[in-house]
Amino acid sequence: MTMTDNKIGGSTEELVVEAGEAQRNRRPSRMNRVGDHLRREWQLYLLLLPTILWLLIFLYKPMYGLQIAFKDYSVFRGVAGSPWVGLEHFYTLFENDQFIRALRNTIYISLLGLVFGFPMPIILALMFNEVVNQLFKKTAQTIVYLPHFISSVIIAGIVITAFSPSAGIVNTVMGWFGLNPIYFLTKAEWFRPIFVGTGIWQEAGFQSIVYLAAIAGISPTLYESAVVDGATRFQMMWKITLPMILPTIIIMLIIRIGNMLEVSFEMIILLYQPATYETADVVNTFIYRQGIQGGQYDLAAAAGLFNAFVAFVLVMTANTISKRYSRTSLW
Amino acid sequence: MLSSMNLYSRGDKLFVIINMILLGLFTISTLYPFIYITSLSMSSGFEARAGNVILTPMGFTLEAYKRVLSEPMFWISYKNTLIYTVLGTLTSLAFIIPGAYALSRPQLYGRRFWNLAVAFTMWFHAGMIPFFLNMRDLNLLDSYFGIIIGFAVNGFNIILLRNFFEGIPQSFEEAARMDGANEFQVLWKVFVPLSKPAIATVALFCIVSRWNGFFWAMILLQDESKIPLQVYLRQIIVELSDDEEFANTLMSAGYSFETVSAAIIVCSIIPILLIYPFLQKYFNKGILLGGVKE
Amino acid sequence: MSGVRLDKIVKSYGAVQVVHGIDLEIKDKEFVVLVGPSGCGKSTTLRMIAGLEEISDGSLTIDDRVVNRVAPKDRDVAMVFQNYALYPHLNVADNIAFGLRIRKESKDAIKASVDEVGAILGLTPYLERRPSDLSGGQRQRVAMGRAIVRRPKVFLFDEPLSNLDAKLRTQMRAEIKRLHKRLEATSIYVTHDQVEAMTLADKIVVMQDGRIEQIGTPMELFLNPANAFVAGFLGAPPMNMINAVVAKGENGPIASFDGQTLPLPALPDLQNAEGRPIIVGIRPEYANIVTAPQPGSVNCTLNLVETLGSEALLHATVGDDQFVIRTETLGKIDQLDHVNGFTVDPTLIRIFDAKTGKALGGQTRVA
Repeated sequence: MTMTDNKIGGSTEELVVEAGEAQRNRRPSRMNRVGDHLRREWQLYLLLLPTILWLLIFLYKPMYGLQIAFKDYSVFRGVAGSPWVGLEHFYTLFENDQFIRALRNTIYISLLGLVFGFPMPIILALMFNEVVNQLFKKTAQTIVYLPHFISSVIIAGIVITAFSPSAGIVNTVMGWFGLNPIYFLTKAEWFRPIFVGTGIWQEAGFQSIVYLAAIAGISPTLYESAVVDGATRFQMMWKITLPMILPTIIIMLIIRIGNMLEVSFEMIILLYQPATYETADVVNTFIYRQGIQGGQYDLAAAAGLFNAFVAFVLVMTANTISKRYSRTSLW
Repeated sequence: MLSSMNLYSRGDKLFVIINMILLGLFTISTLYPFIYITSLSMSSGFEARAGNVILTPMGFTLEAYKRVLSEPMFWISYKNTLIYTVLGTLTSLAFIIPGAYALSRPQLYGRRFWNLAVAFTMWFHAGMIPFFLNMRDLNLLDSYFGIIIGFAVNGFNIILLRNFFEGIPQSFEEAARMDGANEFQVLWKVFVPLSKPAIATVALFCIVSRWNGFFWAMILLQDESKIPLQVYLRQIIVELSDDEEFANTLMSAGYSFETVSAAIIVCSIIPILLIYPFLQKYFNKGILLGGVKE
Repeated sequence: MSGVRLDKIVKSYGAVQVVHGIDLEIKDKEFVVLVGPSGCGKSTTLRMIAGLEEISDGSLTIDDRVVNRVAPKDRDVAMVFQNYALYPHLNVADNIAFGLRIRKESKDAIKASVDEVGAILGLTPYLERRPSDLSGGQRQRVAMGRAIVRRPKVFLFDEPLSNLDAKLRTQMRAEIKRLHKRLEATSIYVTHDQVEAMTLADKIVVMQDGRIEQIGTPMELFLNPANAFVAGFLGAPPMNMINAVVAKGENGPIASFDGQTLPLPALPDLQNAEGRPIIVGIRPEYANIVTAPQPGSVNCTLNLVETLGSEALLHATVGDDQFVIRTETLGKIDQLDHVNGFTVDPTLIRIFDAKTGKALGGQTRVA
């Protein structure tokens, strides 16, 4: 356009024609630009395509299938063809004692996990940080990270073997003190302590990595100046290390709360039995039994949707609270 | 902090020592179950049943291993696990590397949207039932292909690798481009060699999750000849632990149910232990790479 | 002929325009330096020439061919990056050969080219090493080798020396100059360092805020800056600027400021221009120190003396304006602390309009 501004004289018509030409020659239209871009960068989209297709087929399509939570699903009619039933499945769920029990257990087990499981990695990281002997530190870390990489089936196998009434080491040791053997895994009151304890044993070490990384990011000069000021190591841990990793702790807490209802149900499936359902059955195991084993897909999908909804509300709430009070947030 | 204990005050020395003792106890309690299981697997069935195994093998014998290794299902499931692990990991990388690369390029149109589409799957998924029904609708039940393809992509791994790619200076891509490389060449000849640690991290995560995965394999595979090791393990350990009759038949042969379970456990941990040094080397980096962003 | 022509080149990101229509003609074999403060658009301009940034408007011609929509690899240009972009997984020889391999040249041809380039740059003993085992200067040379080996029509340099320490930078500067003499390739070089610009360029292009302020040979720009910005940018320390108004003196125009006066050159623009606000530009080198007021001298308040050995920098204030004098120390060292004014040859004074910053009047005669 600036080209024509400079011209003096010439009819208006000429100017218009020229302006149009300038437009064509010098400023490609939007369509043209997209075309140009694709011609140059098509390879990039080709590289992206498989991932996007996979996500669509394996993760987004099931989200579409989630509508069966509001439908009377039948295998023959398929997702789209089944008739709508509104919130009927949700009413059914809340009249179902097993579901209420599962919901209660889920909350109870995840709260236990939060109270006892969340601080452990932080404590471990602080302790690792205080170790002076590097060989000891390395060896200890190598060992405590290991259980994370062991499958839940094997962990369950170890638990079952260790708590076995006749041969298990736990009952053997109890025998030394004259206690009668207990068949722990059939006792409802023992399920939660064993489950939560196993979780801590397996994951606390590995989870401490995140905090150790945060600690590694603290400037050594902070400690050096504290040493010169005469601080003890305990004071430094309490007054420097802990406050410095607080943002990481908050982020991890938000994530943890968001995943709270996702108790490691695979482990529960391996460890529970009808005798311990009373305390062990959680929403996800309920879904597994009702849906996969019992074929009540629509009802189980409704339970899953409810679970996801509660998790979503939880993480949003935690994030909002954290944003307001500590200015740390996930997003 | 101070590098030498000599410079510590008495109180600090005490603090350090108590800390070390407590940490040592925790470490031992982590290690002990593995020692216990290993000893159990090498003890005689009688000693095991009687609960006499505490630390070292009692009545040393390798009968339990002989029994495990002579079981055809053990070898079939082991072979299946190897297939799922090797092909599954390669498939994952074939999706993740190009995808992460594309998502890391600033010139990608709608980059924010595509990245969000990936990150969203980390926070929200349809759940067990819709995923299962989808797999069934796709005819992927009871198939090697279904297990391999159905779990190929994972948002966390993509974002981990994407973050690493983003950290590679733009000029590497630009220099290669000016040298005449196309996108595939830039990725294959520049980014992949530069990202070996990150790719190794992702590969190791894939290997571990493939090796250990049991839940979906248990649900999606009915055909005994296709089940992986972990599903077979579950059948032995969990389902048969209450089977007194089975336990008694084992007893008569000089080993017990406990020693056999322990032997299978040891056999299936060994591969993880073999790659554990590599895991250790890379997962520290991996966790940091992944960051908490998006 | 490997000339480059920029015709009203514009770069915008969405609604934000960062380069506002640049016209520039670069002749074959010429060494042109784009210089300016960070954010002035010099790197963006270079990247548009390279093809790494899309050109929003205008046309770019290389060798009489419009290349706006030609991919970088087909423009026959090579670029040396600020961080060198050496591939850490390849050794020096493979780094240099990378572009040739991508272009599928024959093995023998590649080896010959790499050997030749290695010899030119003195890299022959290091061909098998990885970049991580090289010093900063050697890495810089490999980066240049990678550009040279393709024998492109045009070389592009994006602040190639900014990662080196001061001593190496001087050394590599000389090396680049020598290389250019030998290869005689058209070169476009971006830097924010005015010393590099002065020493390397056949032609300097000073840029600010996405516009070209002035184009010319180094000495043209030094002696006759077109405006206050160019005057302040080239030369170290920069030209002193005193805010003043024109007044009528006995022998022609004078500048009046801070209750003092200074004779000005008899420029046509200054005739009958009493009261016009101007900026008086005096290079630190052209001010002669005095320790007692003299006719025509300007009084200043001395704040600090920095002795650099053979010369010294005197930091002073004239009214509200900072004023730096650069003087030799030989035979004057005792006087430096007592300096309270300076004189200046009126023909060496540059005068700028206070509002527009444009230079007034004719040219300084090159001595």
